[in-house]
Amino acid sequence: MSTKTPAAPAKAPTAKHSQKEPRLPNPSSKKLFRTVEPYIWIAPSIILMAIFIVTPIFKVFQLSMSKVTRAGQLKGFNNFENFTKVLKSPAFSLVLKNTIVWTIAVVIISTVLGFILALILNNKFHGRKIARAIVVFPWATTLVIQASVWNFIINKDYGTLNTLLMKFGLISAPVNWTPNPTAYFAWEIACGIFVTIPFVTFCVLSGLQSIDSSYYEAATVDGAGYFQKLFNITLPLVKSSLTVSTVLNIIYVFNSFPIIWTMTKGDPANRTDTLVTYLYKLAFYNGKQGEASAVSVIGFIILLMCASVYMVYTLRKGDDDL
Amino acid sequence: MSQPANAVRKKPVSMKKVILRLLLYFVVLDVCVITLYPYFAMLCTALKNRVEIFSGGTVLPVTALWSNFIDIWSKAPMAKYMLNSILIASGSTIIAMLCGIPAAYALARMKFRGQTAFLGFVIVSQMFAPVVLLIGIYQVMMQLGLTDSLLGLVFINAAFNQAFTIWLLRGTFMGISAEMEQAATIDGCNRVQSMMRVLLPVAAPGIVTTLIFIFINAWNEYTVALVLISTDTLKPLTVGINIFNGYNIIEWQYLFAASIFAIIPVVILFMCIEKNLVSGLASGGVKG
Repeated sequence: MSTKTPAAPAKAPTAKHSQKEPRLPNPSSKKLFRTVEPYIWIAPSIILMAIFIVTPIFKVFQLSMSKVTRAGQLKGFNNFENFTKVLKSPAFSLVLKNTIVWTIAVVIISTVLGFILALILNNKFHGRKIARAIVVFPWATTLVIQASVWNFIINKDYGTLNTLLMKFGLISAPVNWTPNPTAYFAWEIACGIFVTIPFVTFCVLSGLQSIDSSYYEAATVDGAGYFQKLFNITLPLVKSSLTVSTVLNIIYVFNSFPIIWTMTKGDPANRTDTLVTYLYKLAFYNGKQGEASAVSVIGFIILLMCASVYMVYTLRKGDDDL
Repeated sequence: MSQPANAVRKKPVSMKKVILRLLLYFVVLDVCVITLYPYFAMLCTALKNRVEIFSGGTVLPVTALWSNFIDIWSKAPMAKYMLNSILIASGSTIIAMLCGIPAAYALARMKFRGQTAFLGFVIVSQMFAPVVLLIGIYQVMMQLGLTDSLLGLVFINAAFNQAFTIWLLRGTFMGISAEMEQAATIDGCNRVQSMMRVLLPVAAPGIVTTLIFIFINAWNEYTVALVLISTDTLKPLTVGINIFNGYNIIEWQYLFAASIFAIIPVVILFMCIEKNLVSGLASGGVKG
């Protein structure tokens, strides 16, 4: 993936010399400058990402294959022992299952609901601007705070959900909304959906707004019904917006840490852990950095499969445009 | 439902249309109420006293205790947290833009070998959220001596926002015709001058959108700050406010009063860029 890019910063220093003398009439130095110039422009960005993204990636791979002391020192290659330890541990399959359930549930449900919400908000009605501003709220709010509020709302002793439902007379006694870890996990998923919907909605809305209304007028003249128009005009035309939002959401949701960390910390006994909370605990609570890195690498491999689909899609799309 | 409403108005109003319209308002109202409910609960709780919160039973506070909003500044180093958040977010924004603008410019205006590879790398880098790299990040920061420092967080946030910065700006730049810059070049400007004087002013809306978006992301960042920062007075708001969220006792009224301070600036900024951000994301995506 990044095999070609590390070459670029190496070219930058030579480029700087030629930059000092760009006015020389010498055509060959001018030509040389032309070829290296783009690399000077992208160099700062590459250096920044190389130090703070690429190096940590290498570190994680290195740690995942090494014996690591509790203090974080490397003691050489250990024959993928970290991976076998992780894969053998009974908690891991549970955590992996949770991660898959969490990602699929949040992404699919928020994509469907976000899409419907976008169709609704695309209508012209009074207060549309206000409604759109309100829908943005959960997107702008940091996840830790969102999760804290939901934790408060569903509390069985003093949460406002029980209070409200009792005031409306829908329940007579406080309900324990989180009787078991599965129920708590479901609430975490609900919170995840709540914060993910706005992103989907706005991606789809941007797609909807670029559709020429003459398509719909023509279809109406031809006697097409609402759902015919939805499936034959709207869906195909917002497909690219939907793909972008879905792929990005898979990545974000898969890697989402604050909601679960704030609400349950993955407890009890890994029942609500996902890969990221699990690896956080392994690394920073249990001092097992090697195993935690192995979990990271397994996470990469899963996501890489998703990202490669996305890349093939977007890059091919770019070729079509040319 | 997606056709423009003015087409509807010309026809005689049928019963079905009226019902659909009412249904539309009903659904929109419900969505707004549900969306705002957590914020409403937060505000109400922030105005209650401890006893009232833990005994439950009230939605609105019996008497609004505005003093909670003042107390938090003395109960915790809130001013420090706030300042740290501002420093981290502005620092990250500046560095991300300084590195991102030239890169986006090169991608939009020049042709070079490895262009596709660089773009591919930018896309793939989004896949590596800081949280999965935490261990690696921690080790790198140890070597650089940047653990427990605001500067470390600034660099991390700037780096992990490069993808979005480049993506959004490249889309903006590509949407602007290069003719003006070419004219400036003929008039004797070099590339840097023509970019600064011609392209950037035209691209200002896109640049402001990107800027605010990075600011918000950095402001809302939680996980890396949680790991890297151990000194209390260096924590940003997202991590710091959890001082009220203790193991044994949660001071909900203070937690939410502090949270409101953390939310308001961001929500206002977000509402300013919402429209531009979405079209930016879409154009970047479509132009791939």
